[in-house]
Amino acid sequence: MKLRRPETRTPPETIVALIDVVFFLLVFFMLVGRMDATAPFEVQPPLSEGGADLPGGGATVSIGLDEELALEGTLVSRAGLLARLEERLAAEPALPVRLNAHGGAPLRALLPLAAEIEALGAQDIVLIVTREGGG
Amino acid sequence: MHLRRARPIRPLISLVSMVDVLLIMLVFFMVTSTYLDLDMLELAEPAEEGGGGAAGPADTVLVSIGGDGQARLGGAALSPAALTTALSDRLAASPGMQVLLLPSALADTQALVRVMDAAAQAGATRLRIVQLEPQR
Repeated sequence: MKLRRPETRTPPETIVALIDVVFFLLVFFMLVGRMDATAPFEVQPPLSEGGADLPGGGATVSIGLDEELALEGTLVSRAGLLARLEERLAAEPALPVRLNAHGGAPLRALLPLAAEIEALGAQDIVLIVTREGGG
Repeated sequence: MHLRRARPIRPLISLVSMVDVLLIMLVFFMVTSTYLDLDMLELAEPAEEGGGGAAGPADTVLVSIGGDGQARLGGAALSPAALTTALSDRLAASPGMQVLLLPSALADTQALVRVMDAAAQAGATRLRIVQLEPQR
């Protein structure tokens, strides 16, 4: 008598676990990430040990190593930048202005600009820094 | 004769397309995200009501920053650690002392932040940046 070995059934692969993992990863990246316009030039903020947490919102002005300027990721001239900031400050006087200056940018590009922005009526001007030794 | 109604067959919803969409979104977030631990230093704070009166000359110390980024206190070049110590000593004698930073327009932003950090570590709470003339 010849006995046949029963055919082994391959269990159907469930993709539910995969979906769970992908969902977790997706939610993680959505929570930890912050959508922000990046400057069209390289900006490495200065390192600092004593910075406070950066709140969201506000207008971001980027200053590059060669003193180029950008507002919300768009390259602008100095006059154009000040005009657009003036409009926004007129609409929202409490608008925080974040200066995202390259660590190597000369202060002649940063401080007079900060003073002019303050003269436009900005009450809250902060300099973006990165934590020393941190990511 | 008793006829039974046939059981309706539930349509099978394929999850494959949803997984595709999720994976595309995941890859998008992974590729477009840059992870920086961003902090801030106040350059101009909202005006305080009442207090914050001008300090007298005796309650003010001037720290200059040269074009090379070197901090100087009373004409003496100091490292950030030495500056912290010197400012701590002065703040111990005069707790409400105001620290004025006079940076050269040629110094870089990192040099200013380094000095601001040193002053903050010394316990200075009243910090102001002054400029003599903007260089264009």
